[in-house]
Amino acid sequence: MSDDRSKMAATASLAVTVSMPLDRFELDVSFATTHQVTGIFGVSGSGKTSLLEVIAGIRVDARGCIQQGEQRWLDTDAGQLTRSEDRQIGYVPQDGLLFPHLNVRRNLLSGCARAEARGVKVDEIFRTVTDLLELSPLLDRQVEMLSGGERQRVALGRAICSGPSLLLLDEPLAALDMSLRRRLLPFLRRLNEEFSIPSIMVSHDPVELQALCGDLIVLRAGRVIARGRPDDVLTDGAVYSVAEHGYENVLPGERLAGVVGAGRLRLVGADPPIELAVGSSDAPPGTRVYLGLPARDIMISRDRPALISARNIIPAKIVALRSLRSAELVTVSLGASTLELRVEVTSTTIETLDLEVGGQVFLSFKATSCRVYGESDRP
Amino acid sequence: MNVDVLEIVELTVRVAAVSTGIVIVPSTLLGYALARHDFPGKRLLSTMTTLPMVLPPTAVGFLLLQLLASDGLLGRKLLGFDLALLLTWKAAVIAAAVMSVPLVVRTARVAFEGVDPRLEWMARTLGYSRAAVFFRFSLPMARRGLLAAVILGFTRALGEFGATVTIAGNIPGRTQTLASAIFQAQQDGDASAGYALMAIAATLGFVAIFSVEYLSTRRPARSRSKAGVSP
Repeated sequence: MSDDRSKMAATASLAVTVSMPLDRFELDVSFATTHQVTGIFGVSGSGKTSLLEVIAGIRVDARGCIQQGEQRWLDTDAGQLTRSEDRQIGYVPQDGLLFPHLNVRRNLLSGCARAEARGVKVDEIFRTVTDLLELSPLLDRQVEMLSGGERQRVALGRAICSGPSLLLLDEPLAALDMSLRRRLLPFLRRLNEEFSIPSIMVSHDPVELQALCGDLIVLRAGRVIARGRPDDVLTDGAVYSVAEHGYENVLPGERLAGVVGAGRLRLVGADPPIELAVGSSDAPPGTRVYLGLPARDIMISRDRPALISARNIIPAKIVALRSLRSAELVTVSLGASTLELRVEVTSTTIETLDLEVGGQVFLSFKATSCRVYGESDRP
Repeated sequence: MNVDVLEIVELTVRVAAVSTGIVIVPSTLLGYALARHDFPGKRLLSTMTTLPMVLPPTAVGFLLLQLLASDGLLGRKLLGFDLALLLTWKAAVIAAAVMSVPLVVRTARVAFEGVDPRLEWMARTLGYSRAAVFFRFSLPMARRGLLAAVILGFTRALGEFGATVTIAGNIPGRTQTLASAIFQAQQDGDASAGYALMAIAATLGFVAIFSVEYLSTRRPARSRSKAGVSP
């Protein structure tokens, strides 16, 4: 699915090969991407923000080459360095960095001169952005009156209203508490779908990266140590300590009409359709959400379990087995679709149930194990 | 009471206003440079601009006098013409300007240091050149502190005495400011004039400092401009 999207956006590619001394190590990174959203993952201090600042032109002490589409932003051999203001980027840092002397409306429009110069219809974008990010009621507020989530939405809106050819998102949701963070996920997705601006998103939240990125680069001590589809990369024991944190499956879904005390959700892209029992919410049917399902909370069985308390039982096919240091990770596909889930089991289970690639199994999990992201969890 | 109070106040305010007008732009730029950039000689420059604050004002006056004397660097012999500044109200302006520079530069510097440089970078990424960022973002974001700098500079100029009396003299109707008029009243034993002039000076000073206090404490999150008041 992500590959189809990348072909559509293939005109805008980003190729980065840079090196730069940092405090404790040397940043030495080379990658090229044509994906619409490329994630950069790594622990704090792995060089993620520095890399983004080099791409933004905020740090100018890097050596190497940066090519964005037709434009060459950095080429130290040729003595070429495009200034930050000429790179047409939209930069969203984790603390928003809204201009304190401007109200929300003027913050949103602070980059509009550049957008107009590029022939972008600012009026139209402004309307769409305020609509998608639900900013209309805030337009005349002073920025110090905004909550953390509102600030980040304004920062996102400002970046997009400046008509960028590349969005650089530096942990745009990291300063927020977890529930708010999850609630803002759909805003980011809406922006992606509406504007299709190529984006680089730095994050250390696996859920965010799986929900939004088609491609993931992992940095450690300034170097790329892994690259690929987020769900593959994040289940690589050498990259991410699955045993420690536990892997969480993230799948797009849509709310269905539920009954009091119980909610239902349809997985987007499942063929045949899959409906799941999840926790209830006030969100109206049709609300697009993400389903978070911890790999440890899924039970696997060879036969369809009968008389079981788990409300969700779905058939699946094993497509891969991966051995981690302390557990086994079973990758299963759902129906004929490309949807995949990962299930954590012990090696004893693999032997006892005789699980192997190609085998048909049933997955069982409780409605309470299903985390639904992207809707208001406070009335 | 044997003084023309109105005339003295008018001259004092004129001297302080012109002096502030001359000082504010270069001091703001210098304050910005000191707040944002590292360059060779930065400490030296910072020290030099602060020096008039700690020197005896008469020492500054003496230096200016040597500079403007006929055989000084800005004197008739070297320039080839006479600037004719000494013992005029223009000399009082020069004295006031030199004496208020340290306060204005330091307050402006603190005002700019209170602006997150990352906000300036953010403006750059939105397409603004360095110059545009300075005028459209740095200046407005530092505006409270800069206004405080203007007021403090103006107040310092209002009260300037030592350097002023050295190069402008104390000529009633021509170079006599509030400060020198109070000194004169004391010398003449004219207590009522002294009280009247002192009351005017105190009122002007009170309004100015109260305004600065107001500016620097109204928004606690950005109240660092107050630090610029202390030497």
